[in-house]
Amino acid sequence: MEIFLQQLVNGLTLGSLYALIAVGYTVVYGIVQLINFAHGEVFMIGAFGALATYLLLFQGQTALWILPIMIIGAMIASVGTAVLMERVAYRPLRNAPRLAPLITAIGISVFLQEFIRLFFDKVPGTDFPSAKAKIPFPQIDVVTGPAFNPMAGVTIQRAAVFTIAMMALSALGLWWFINKTKTGRGMQAVSQDPDTARLMGINVDRIIVAAFAVGAALAAIAGVAQGLQITNINFKMGFIAGLKAFTAAVLGGIGNIQGAVVGGLVLGMAEAMITQYTGMLPDPFGQFGGSSWKDVWAFALLIIVLVFRPQGLLGAKVVDRA
Amino acid sequence: MIKLPNIPESVRERHAAKGWPLALLGSVLLIVSGLLSWSYDPAILGDISISFWPATLQLFAIILGVVGLVLALMHQGPLRGLGDWFDAALGLRALGTGSMVFVIYSLVAIAYEAGGLVNINPGGWVALVGALALWLGGHFLPQRTLHNFAKAKSSPVLEILVIVVLMALVLFGAAYVLGQEDPWVFVGFLIMASVAATALARAGFFTWFGHVAQRNRQVLTLAAFVVAFLFPFTQDGSDANMSIATQVIIFAATAIGLNIVVGLAGLLDLGYIAFLGSGAYVAAMMSNAASATIGFKPPFLIVMLIGASAAAVLGLIIGSPTLRVSGDYLAIVTLAFGEIFRLSMFNLDGNNGPDLTNGPNGIPGIPDLNLFGFDFGKPHEIFGITLGRFSNYYFVLLLLIGFIILVFTRLNNSRIGRGWVAIREDERAAEAMGVNTFALKLFAFAGGAFLAGLAGTIKAHQDTAVSPDQYVFLESAFLLSAVVLGGMGTVAGVLIGATILKLLPEKLRFFSEYRLLIFGLLLVVMMRIRPEGLIASKRRQLEFHDEDEELASEIQQDHLIDASPEAAR
Repeated sequence: MEIFLQQLVNGLTLGSLYALIAVGYTVVYGIVQLINFAHGEVFMIGAFGALATYLLLFQGQTALWILPIMIIGAMIASVGTAVLMERVAYRPLRNAPRLAPLITAIGISVFLQEFIRLFFDKVPGTDFPSAKAKIPFPQIDVVTGPAFNPMAGVTIQRAAVFTIAMMALSALGLWWFINKTKTGRGMQAVSQDPDTARLMGINVDRIIVAAFAVGAALAAIAGVAQGLQITNINFKMGFIAGLKAFTAAVLGGIGNIQGAVVGGLVLGMAEAMITQYTGMLPDPFGQFGGSSWKDVWAFALLIIVLVFRPQGLLGAKVVDRA
Repeated sequence: MIKLPNIPESVRERHAAKGWPLALLGSVLLIVSGLLSWSYDPAILGDISISFWPATLQLFAIILGVVGLVLALMHQGPLRGLGDWFDAALGLRALGTGSMVFVIYSLVAIAYEAGGLVNINPGGWVALVGALALWLGGHFLPQRTLHNFAKAKSSPVLEILVIVVLMALVLFGAAYVLGQEDPWVFVGFLIMASVAATALARAGFFTWFGHVAQRNRQVLTLAAFVVAFLFPFTQDGSDANMSIATQVIIFAATAIGLNIVVGLAGLLDLGYIAFLGSGAYVAAMMSNAASATIGFKPPFLIVMLIGASAAAVLGLIIGSPTLRVSGDYLAIVTLAFGEIFRLSMFNLDGNNGPDLTNGPNGIPGIPDLNLFGFDFGKPHEIFGITLGRFSNYYFVLLLLIGFIILVFTRLNNSRIGRGWVAIREDERAAEAMGVNTFALKLFAFAGGAFLAGLAGTIKAHQDTAVSPDQYVFLESAFLLSAVVLGGMGTVAGVLIGATILKLLPEKLRFFSEYRLLIFGLLLVVMMRIRPEGLIASKRRQLEFHDEDEELASEIQQDHLIDASPEAAR
């Protein structure tokens, strides 16, 4: 039972992280039918943005009030990146065959990783550490520190609580944004029918930028959460996280925002549980448990979902038109 | 793309008469400049300080000048007859712009290497004036109406001669440029070669050559292979370039396999490196390496078949979701498969599963191939030229890529290939027309995987080791970009794309740090300016420019000509 509860907590934490990133995939896909393959890098840049903010303004401090400012710094970095890449790379290809934006996305992804790796320590006027190795992420009062121990055999990291809380807050905020603001309702309209939306006076270009920006903002939060949890960040962290988050988005039904959240949580749980319980099987099967196989299980889940239920758990808003 | 300002139409008309003398003058000046000294400093850029002894950059300037001279004389002068066929004005225009780029690059190179513009001797300035004259002349020249190449008749002997000369030039150029150690010279050569090629392409030379190649396909293929076969003999016993060459061939062979899946059948595969990897792992596990994990060690030819079959089976598994998913989803599924392959190879070390692959350490110390008593590890001597270890592998790989190209072209021109193209263009329509889409898609995956697996078995022996980090996603992305960069659905395009992607980072070590950065940027830029690739199949080109009526009618015409009885002689 303790094991189950522990894995529940782990799965929930992991799932919250996936959900935060997955929203970015799903919002963009819902509106422009584009898999923004470089979204994982946006998440990574969010983490580096937070770190840069901390190093520039608060080096050595640990007070809690720093955290919101770090998150804002992260958002500026990731939203800026996402909006820029939409403008420079994706917009000119909007009517191109679908292969073109996908390859562009791979290009952007490689470019952003390398850009951070090569130039993070070369920002003029700063003494940032080189990003070629892992960089320790700052520790903040309250959200990091000794873990909670609600019962024997179950530990909950403080950063995990932070992640889950941020996820819940973001989901609420997102719900409000999509349903109550003009831009949010515009996004819904464009995802249903871009041409009609344009005729109704919606600036589709601006809506698309907004979609990229919203996804990037949540990815930035995820970046900070990841940094606090793992206590270090590196330029490669976006690739696997992005792929997992995409899995989550598909699992929930791509284009469906609630689906992304549900998909993220389900994927996180599934990953934690499968890894744990496979490891408890008798050998030789038990060897396939443990953390070294957890990515394999997640990807296997992705394939199974895509093959047997491509519309996802909650149903995709946009069926694959390719 | 560097774009010099265009000359307005009114100015062009006013100076039309000056165009030809200017172009002629520019070409001559470029040739003359090559004979003069370019710099005081003999220590830089392969010694360009001596008059009447052209080296490196001077040589390149002379080549550009000669191309310009020929084009100018086609426009007006003894070669005027050819001017009815080739568009000399357009060619000169491109050449002029390119020469400016080349000369400015050269002057910058001299100034950078020797410390300041004062180090440039008159030769360099003469070249600049020449390039300027060529540029102006090219832009003043009026265009002429041309005949259609499809109706051109040239004697078969001449055509074959052209092919042979061109191939010899390729061999010469490759041997020359690979021998260059100085990155400035290397890049200078690339600029010169691409300028000359662009000028000739603009003049219509390659369109004509395309028709010639179509008429003499066998000759062309044979000539290309002879050139490739002769290449090791130009290396004078050095194995450094041969090592690069073998890597290029393995990469190209795999990319051609991928081209079946992506270029012909239109199925995006982002995990393709796994097939190369499975071939390599099978070969490693069945080799005589100390840490090989399978006791069964058959002869290599059988290992090749087993490795390729393993890859093909993997291809069937990866291809099976194509029944239900397509487009972007398929890309992600294949990406996930690729990652699963890598992670499995990483994990199967005995602790996290059965011991098959030695986990992260991989299988090192794979012995060299030994076929029919021929030891690939030892240098051999032929005609007094020593051929090193990599040359030995080079010849085998040449056979392999020949086989793969053969398979690719035969499939492309078969019922199967047409089925693939139909699927690519519109799967539903293809199915309605009776194309067995699922079987064909599976076959594309399995067939492509089989070819990659073959390449993998040789790669394992040539690299002497396999490890999981050779088969990361980035490698799949590289393969895909070779296909996209070169041109989807064509062999020549993929060969060029693979060469560019493998050769440039090897030769330009000074930017190895920025290699991936530039690679990423290249993909983005390429998708914007030329999404169909450098050498695109016409049909594919149309897909990316479907509003281009001219191209469409051109393609239709080509097809009509192909189908007419006289073309089938």
